[in-house]
Amino acid sequence: MSDSKLTRRELLKKAGIGAAAVGVSGAAAPFSFAGPMKFKNRHLKGDLSIIQWVHFVPAYDDWFDNTWVKQWGEKNDVQVKVEHINNTLLDTRAAAEVAAQSGHDLFFNLHPMASYEDQVINHAPIIQEIQRKVGPYGDLGKKSTYNPKTKKYFAVSDNYVPDPVVWRRDLWNGIGEAPYTWDHVRKAAPKLKAIGHPIGIGQSQELDSNMALLAFMMCFGSFVQNAANRPTLNTKATIDAVKFMSEIYKSEDAAIFGWNPASNNNYLYAGTASMILNAISATRTPEDQHLPFADDLAIWPIPIGPHGRLGLEHVMGCYSIWKFAQNKENAQQFLVDLCVNYKQATDASKLYNFPSFPGAYPFKQIRKTAAADTHKPRGKYTILTTIAEKYTHNIGYPGTTNAAMDEVFSKYLIPQMFAQVSQGKMSAADSVKSINAQVKDIYAKWKARGKI
Amino acid sequence: MTSARRHKAVAYAVTIPFVIVLAFPFFWMAVTSFKPEAQVYDPTKVWSFHPTLANYGFLFHHTDYVRWLRNSSFVGLMVVLITLAVALPAGYALARLSGRVGRSMGVGIFLTYLVPPTLLFLPLSRVISQYFHLSDRLWSLIVVYPSFTIPFAIWLLMGFFKTIPQELEDAALIDGCSRLGALVRVVFPISIPGILTVVIFTFSLVVNEFVYAITFISSAENRTLTVGVPTDLIRGDLFNWPGIMAAILIPSIPLALVYNAFLNRFIAGFTGGAFR
Repeated sequence: MSDSKLTRRELLKKAGIGAAAVGVSGAAAPFSFAGPMKFKNRHLKGDLSIIQWVHFVPAYDDWFDNTWVKQWGEKNDVQVKVEHINNTLLDTRAAAEVAAQSGHDLFFNLHPMASYEDQVINHAPIIQEIQRKVGPYGDLGKKSTYNPKTKKYFAVSDNYVPDPVVWRRDLWNGIGEAPYTWDHVRKAAPKLKAIGHPIGIGQSQELDSNMALLAFMMCFGSFVQNAANRPTLNTKATIDAVKFMSEIYKSEDAAIFGWNPASNNNYLYAGTASMILNAISATRTPEDQHLPFADDLAIWPIPIGPHGRLGLEHVMGCYSIWKFAQNKENAQQFLVDLCVNYKQATDASKLYNFPSFPGAYPFKQIRKTAAADTHKPRGKYTILTTIAEKYTHNIGYPGTTNAAMDEVFSKYLIPQMFAQVSQGKMSAADSVKSINAQVKDIYAKWKARGKI
Repeated sequence: MTSARRHKAVAYAVTIPFVIVLAFPFFWMAVTSFKPEAQVYDPTKVWSFHPTLANYGFLFHHTDYVRWLRNSSFVGLMVVLITLAVALPAGYALARLSGRVGRSMGVGIFLTYLVPPTLLFLPLSRVISQYFHLSDRLWSLIVVYPSFTIPFAIWLLMGFFKTIPQELEDAALIDGCSRLGALVRVVFPISIPGILTVVIFTFSLVVNEFVYAITFISSAENRTLTVGVPTDLIRGDLFNWPGIMAAILIPSIPLALVYNAFLNRFIAGFTGGAFR
């Protein structure tokens, strides 16, 4: 028996041969990877390289890569190359491209990159061209990509994503509640936790927590800045909001302090969460995977607070063209054509993306498409149009999205402000005061740079 | 209970919890990789589910998984070769020829290993793009990775070479070997544990590296495993957990086998410089 055993020496020999085989095949790798030219034997006008996220709705990427880009490239005789990366890596990639002064012709991000204003072209001519074809830029898009101080458009937003409340009707009905106001949420939270289904609003350094908490603050009349882009965080309304959320947290799971952008979704998909704030990918996945509670997932606008019902976009799709881009003209034309034909994109995204130029796909038409969605409860997506039209604001509302706000957002100061109170590390007043000091420093820095 | 049995029982009592803690992630990874995607989120299907190979099929038929593996292997092997080519003579020189200066330089070289890639990736982006013109090519990684593998390898080999008695080399020199000859014929053969440790450790570092890989490579055809998996198997807030687990499990198995095969030499390599 022992003769048939693989000795260590034999194993090493075989492993060596295997490693050599991998090495030899890999050595040829860089030379064999290049695929054939897209339009063989044609003289191309140029190239266009695009980098963007891996869309939450796979059907969108399928449409974008295999239909839209292909058709656009053939029509304009341009070789288009699209790279997709995970959304959390876009900022790192942008920083690297700026540092190298080299990169893609079109850079897509999920938030307006206001802090890179000096690195990008003025996108005003592109926006004017789109407006000429489909009507005015939506207010949300304009306030997200225009710097009134420098009179420069630092990006073009092709889309935004509404951020509804996703909640389990079966669980909420079971305790005789519904998340209509934040007061209802606070009262329902302990009961929901008692039945093993807490609500899931993150207080972590990640996108979903940032969006949920900023929107929550707005419902309490608390804003990071005013309409003139001056910091206004240190108010009684902010302290009240922070205290209120720490009350809600008492009925949440401590895991919310370590959440990532997938955590609230996973919490919902596991059947645990009774309510989260998230885009409709949170309902589409249970539908696609036929999860047992998929039909009980309802969509509502953000609950009403003392100041009213004020929500944010969940993500803001923005394309920027670097000053160092090699193919600016192709990039501009691509953007114009994409925004003008955005109906196809919205449909391909299963109503995830809403057009930033509303004339490209009027709300009335989107509402009709949403109403035709057959998922139960039937018509649940109709409200999405109302949310998009009435309750969706830009980051930095009532001001514009600017470099200072972008930095506050990117440093996750707002989740930090909430978390240190919920965790009992600070009082609400102290937490607001300490974060406000950092916010004021950031605003002073960008003011000195002439950007706000 | 006899003393031997008691000794054995204590050894097991100490070892088993460690084994469970360390092996459980791999076990969980394997279990999840065979689950249908819809059942991953179903708390009633944690252990009772219908195993499927669909996730492996998805990897091989609907993603560029084989290409990611090939790219990672290619970069790994090239970096191992470069690292050995530089670290072997450098480690030897610092151990043998420079005395106190060598020790100080050794510490200095090791300190460069401690500078994190998160600080270096921005300036290196410019170097790779503007000076080397290697953006979006696997060679950008092959050029950059030795910046953190070589310092560690030099430090490790330096410690190892110090354990080899000087008399052995002197004897070789007396017998007519040149210094290079003594190095190749005497020192390197008895340094195999140290060299193997460098090979395995360097390869593991390279295969696991993420920041440079995501920064310098953007095209799908040049992605390595660490970039390909989060790009193609995580769609924003939707994780393809079974696919991810399968994608990680596959390269884990040969790496675990190699570690196991060389375990004794690996330990000898790491501890070689620790005792004199």
